[in-house]
Amino acid sequence: MFLIFALITLVGAVALVLQRNLVVAGLCLVLSFMGVAGLFLLLLNPVAAALQIIVYSGAIVVLLLFVIMLLNEHQEEPAQKARPLQRWVSAAVILVLGAGVVKLVAGSPVLRRLGGGSAPAPPAMTLGGLGDALFSGHLLGFEVAGLLLLAAMVGAVALVKRDL
Amino acid sequence: MTSLTSILSGGLQGYVLVALLLFVIGLGAVLTRRSILVQFMGVELMLNAANVALLAFARFRGGDAQGTVFYLFIIAVAACEAAVGLALVVGLYRHRQTTDTDRADALKQ
Repeated sequence: MFLIFALITLVGAVALVLQRNLVVAGLCLVLSFMGVAGLFLLLLNPVAAALQIIVYSGAIVVLLLFVIMLLNEHQEEPAQKARPLQRWVSAAVILVLGAGVVKLVAGSPVLRRLGGGSAPAPPAMTLGGLGDALFSGHLLGFEVAGLLLLAAMVGAVALVKRDL
Repeated sequence: MTSLTSILSGGLQGYVLVALLLFVIGLGAVLTRRSILVQFMGVELMLNAANVALLAFARFRGGDAQGTVFYLFIIAVAACEAAVGLALVVGLYRHRQTTDTDRADALKQ
């Protein structure tokens, strides 16, 4: 199960990078987010999985696709000037980082100790447990997040509206 | 348990590896593509990579609720970032009729 969802996530992400058509790239992003939601389910966290699907694949990607269609920019514009050096340097950076990450995780004794314990699986996260933790310990953060959302909403309207 | 079986069977190392690879792929989208919309998708992938790592560590430390609380805050910030970022993309398109980051170079001249 873990392998299936991990593959869905990573294949969606790689397809996004390689895809020329922006709408199809947005749909690859949905695939990747769905894979991540599956991983959250396997992590015994159905609350996070539901939020992932509602907020990321529901709200953010729909907004993104709306903007792509509004601007009518379905294809990437032809390059103004070829930049071979930058392309090769970024490809090399990504490959080195990817290989380094695999080596780091596979060889890390700390991660093996943290994950290798034979402790029984904890109970699945519930909405009630999340609400308890959120409103008893993080009430101020919750209010600040609400204020941040309001500020972002006002800012987005002010940026897009032609004559305010 | 060896590293390889831990990665393949969904131990902590497997989740951390998926999170880091997702981050690297998102970084690749930002570095190699010119369209600002694809770069935006890459940023979303990187935020998601952080979420996977956060919830994986929370699960393997005994089902801690703090991880999910922080995931909620990251989602709120990502939603704000999406709204303001896409408004900026629309503004850029209005002024210069492009979503190509190479063409948005007014500050360079």
